[in-house]
Amino acid sequence: MGRQLTSTFHEVGQVEREQALALNLTNVSKTFGVTKALDGVSLQVRKGSIHALLGANGSGKSTLVKIIAGVESADHGSQVEAGGRTVAGHHTSPAFARETGIHVVHQDPAVFGHLSVADNLAIGRAAGYDAGLVAPIRERRVHRHTRAVLDRFGLDIDPKTPVAALGPGARAMLAIARVLQDQEQDTGGVLILDEPTASLPSAEADQLIATLQRWAAAGQAIVYVTHRLDEVTRMADTVTVLRDGAHVTTRQAAGLTEEDLVELIVGRSVAEAFPPSRPIVDAEPLLEVRGLCSGRIQDLSFDVRRGEILGIGGLLGSGRTTLLSTLFGVRQPAAGEIRLDGEPLAAGGIRAAIRRGIVMVPEDRSREAALPGLTTRENLSASRVSRYWRRGRLDHRLEAREARGSIAEFLVRVASDAQPFHTLSGGNQQKVILARWLRLTPGLILLDEPTQGVDAGARAEIYRLVRTAVDAGASAIVVSSDPEELAKMADRVLVISRGKLSAELTAPAVTAHRIVEASFGSAHPHEERERP
Amino acid sequence: MTTTDAAVAATSENAPVTAARRQHVARSLVERYGLVILFVVVFVAFASVWNYPATFRSSDNVQQVLRSQAIPAILALASILPLVCGQFDLTVGSVAGISAITVAGAITDHHLSLALGIVLALGIGLVIGLVNGLLVAYVGVNSLIATLGVGIAVSGLVEWYAGGRSILIATTGSLAKVGSRNWFGVPSLVYFVAGFAVVFYYLLQHTPLGRYLHSIGSNATAAHLVGLDVRRLTLLAFVVSALVSAIAGVLYLGAIGSASASGGGIPLTLPALVAVFLGATTIKPGRFNVLGTLVAVYLLAFALSGLSLNGVESWVQNLVTGTGLVLAVTFSTLAAREGSP
Ligand SMILES: Nc1ncnc2c1ncn2[C@@H]1O[C@H](COP(=O)(O)OP(=O)(O)OP(=O)(O)O)[C@@H](O)[C@H]1O
Ligand SMILES: [Mg+2]
Repeated sequence: MGRQLTSTFHEVGQVEREQALALNLTNVSKTFGVTKALDGVSLQVRKGSIHALLGANGSGKSTLVKIIAGVESADHGSQVEAGGRTVAGHHTSPAFARETGIHVVHQDPAVFGHLSVADNLAIGRAAGYDAGLVAPIRERRVHRHTRAVLDRFGLDIDPKTPVAALGPGARAMLAIARVLQDQEQDTGGVLILDEPTASLPSAEADQLIATLQRWAAAGQAIVYVTHRLDEVTRMADTVTVLRDGAHVTTRQAAGLTEEDLVELIVGRSVAEAFPPSRPIVDAEPLLEVRGLCSGRIQDLSFDVRRGEILGIGGLLGSGRTTLLSTLFGVRQPAAGEIRLDGEPLAAGGIRAAIRRGIVMVPEDRSREAALPGLTTRENLSASRVSRYWRRGRLDHRLEAREARGSIAEFLVRVASDAQPFHTLSGGNQQKVILARWLRLTPGLILLDEPTQGVDAGARAEIYRLVRTAVDAGASAIVVSSDPEELAKMADRVLVISRGKLSAELTAPAVTAHRIVEASFGSAHPHEERERP
Repeated sequence: MTTTDAAVAATSENAPVTAARRQHVARSLVERYGLVILFVVVFVAFASVWNYPATFRSSDNVQQVLRSQAIPAILALASILPLVCGQFDLTVGSVAGISAITVAGAITDHHLSLALGIVLALGIGLVIGLVNGLLVAYVGVNSLIATLGVGIAVSGLVEWYAGGRSILIATTGSLAKVGSRNWFGVPSLVYFVAGFAVVFYYLLQHTPLGRYLHSIGSNATAAHLVGLDVRRLTLLAFVVSALVSAIAGVLYLGAIGSASASGGGIPLTLPALVAVFLGATTIKPGRFNVLGTLVAVYLLAFALSGLSLNGVESWVQNLVTGTGLVLAVTFSTLAAREGSP
């Protein structure tokens, strides 16, 4: 693999070759049981460059990142070189990463839910609380530092808020801020971000990208994992693609289009034949919402027609998730009326909603959907275990057969249907949760950020599956922070701003640009914010 | 621009896979059946090589071990249900204790019928299970704390009723007969253990209820969002656990022929929990499971019986139990980290 890379660098040119390497991985492999997650991967990251690490779900990106971070050890026979030090890949450790200036934002934002925002930032900091281990914590100083960091990252949160009270977007930002809080002064080492924008709305994502570009210009080496290919064409200098754990190519990003990237990732050209969006006018409404008030939602009225995919756009905290969870019966509306098929939706909660054919894929996968210790099969069946209750016992064979069917249909990459859920890659977990609900052939599908962390190939497949379900007579409401996604998927888009309807766009007029415009509406909080 | 493109992925796939798979299968067999193998080794060792092999393998000794472990085994099974939902039930021993005292008091002190005594005992068990379940599932008290408190309080009630007495029941009564006889050469209590094991195995592995409980233990919020009534199911787990513990208490009385304040409580609870945790390292590693629990109960029992036959003092037995638990769990954790899935 090393030889191939050298030849790549010939292409990249003399100048870059002379630039110092910040990180040099040679021949990294990793085996989990029978799964070969990484197979002889080498990677060179230059100072001052943004190096995109791409690949389909389960191609080994996060595993590679974890090895660099020292939280997972590689198989024998590899080498990691950083900060002028070299260590065998099976001997990497968090200490090595810390000492050589490797900073990592992991895919799963491991924040401490019960602790405050201030504590979360302090615990993730090299300087800690800036006090001895048994010295009293100087609360005021910690508070001041937290305030400064939050301001820099444009987070309007009180430092004392418990992190469990934050939404996934804010939590992801916090996880990023935790790692980058002291980065401003220091451009040594390597910064690695594993899908940092998967659950961020576009305004926050843009802000993060601008920051990274500035740091790269100042000499910082950055490794960036993402499935949002527009980000790659916008900011990456170099692109490395993994496929099934093997290195496929490393090349300059300049001149690569999103289509090129998809082809490199998937291994074949993918005709992006999305089922077309179309305005649904004459169909009768399936869902009627009148004067709904619930949490942040104030006096919201709209219809969803049969066979329609309704998109919901808006900023972080505009009340979109509240809307979906109210429709699904997770929370009771304070006022207003919800009718499904002309019949009021009784206050029976989730079970009643499911009985009437409503399903919801929640936004926060790890907290609200994952059954981490159970198998993939059990996670798939969670929505309808009783279906397998035959003649006094669970029909495990039927269950396994149907699980394998869903795994194939949703392109889930697993070793078997018995693989524990928590060992699946992030994108594959998301597909399992989608399959859990779509296999019920529901009448109303509520999707909250349905393709977070899902690779480009599978994303197209998911759009297709939702469209198929809708063509068969269902309706769908899709909440997404990605305006491109709404434009591609939805027949009609409602934009919500601070709990109120701020715009409605209908099919040929639904474009990403218009959605963004409408989301920001009048005075919005993000424009005034200082960039970090 | 030269790229190394697709070919790389294809080449290295095939050859090493079979070897890796074989190694993986071997390792997972050891992982799954390690405790069973240990059981066999311990049994064979004591039965053939150490000081009193003949005594150890005599049917008297084997029957004695089977009989004496029946009650701990049933209590261990009882505590599996709440554990599967992610909750501790530290009252199983106390419930068995109060149930034994209730039946003994009813038939000896108050000359009531055995059936009425059992109904009373089950009623008390039901109430304790409801209190546990309501506190944990509906109020949201931490289960370790709630059931520790309830368990201690129940022990207090037992002491109040029994004082220093040991309440005997007639050895000719039907309960004493059921508790102490052999049926077809096997202690009667073993049949009860087997019966409960089958029922629990079936419940946990083959019914939606079992799957629901596992889901709750894995992630209660997610279970709620797939439409499960998490609170009611958790309450149910505590109630079933308490009822089964109450039945174990009745059988305990039958086996011993008397009940006293020192008979139940935390000293009965802890071995049950040890067995469940130890059992979770085998058969289905990482999950609380019925077969593993039974293997663990009897592994410990035969090991301790062998040790005491060889004159090893009782403090060694505690040492063996404690280190055994920690070592088994350590090995299975390490194994899980090495090679999953
Ligand atoms: N602890 C584990 N046990 C077993 N298999 C694992 C484990 N961790 C990862 N894997 C497997 O290794 C492969 C690579 O996973 P990884 O998380 O690196 O993928 P990824 O490229 O980050 O995917 P995504 O884009 O979905 O995040 C997957 O097939 C995954 O199932
Ligand atoms: Mg990943």
